Amino acid sequence: MGLRLILYLALLIIGGMIGYKDLMGEKFNSKLGIIQNICLLFLLFIMGIRIGLDDKVISSFFTIGIKALFLAVFSIVFSIFFVRLVRKFIITDEEEKSHES
Amino acid sequence: MSLKIILSVGLGIGVGYFLLPSCFFQYTDIVIDVGLCLLLFFVGIDIGKQKNVFSNLKKMGFKILLVPLMIIVGSIIGSIVGGFFLKMPINEAGAVGAGLGWYSLSAMILASYSNELSAIAFLTNVFREIIALIIVPTVANRIGFLESIAPCGATAMDTSLPIISKSTNSQTAVVAFITGVILSTLVPILVPIMLNI
Repeated sequence: MGLRLILYLALLIIGGMIGYKDLMGEKFNSKLGIIQNICLLFLLFIMGIRIGLDDKVISSFFTIGIKALFLAVFSIVFSIFFVRLVRKFIITDEEEKSHES
Repeated sequence: MSLKIILSVGLGIGVGYFLLPSCFFQYTDIVIDVGLCLLLFFVGIDIGKQKNVFSNLKKMGFKILLVPLMIIVGSIIGSIVGGFFLKMPINEAGAVGAGLGWYSLSAMILASYSNELSAIAFLTNVFREIIALIIVPTVANRIGFLESIAPCGATAMDTSLPIISKSTNSQTAVVAFITGVILSTLVPILVPIMLNI
């Protein structure tokens, strides 16, 4: 976890510096979105493969799947709701829109 | 985007289950690691291009810590409420929610307590990650950028970060990363605490 965190942080910072200084050409910038999309969807595909290969997930899917799905949905809905409660302390709606890229 | 995400994950699950031998699993580790690193690097470039990210963050200050705090409170209360309908004990349901989407770790911590609870924690948090990947773009659009971090929980620092970055703005991506780091650090502490309540 510690080493991984440092690696992720380092990558973000190196990427950030390259982006900040515009070291990549315009041509690369325009393709960045497409490259990101392809990488992302490929990564999700591989993550799906891992779930499909994991016998533990697949076998438990049918026995406790409903229970797990139920708990996951409640966790998600409540966490969205609680963040919603504090959003006005952190950021205003106009701010969010004006920074949309 | 959500549809493409569902298709990618679904296709992967199908290919993994029906087509590939289980020994293939070990090779996916390196692919995931390299892919994730590449994506985080790209997210970094995106963030760097927005020159005002850090001045905005400074303006928000320590208030951004409310985001991970509320995600923890919401996740645990949510799973306790969900568990109530399933007639689960409060501490067990709370411990599952305290996994915050980090399925491997929460399942490992709970393995010594009960195999069934460990399996539930594992699957619940797998579902949480999959659902998060699918709904982040929609939550960002319909509800708000900050709220779109909530479903991701601990994965906001790695696997979900590229999607948050694409669906929101650079500033939210930075908040998401910080949130993910804090949540990931707290999972190993929160799960045992909830279990012993």
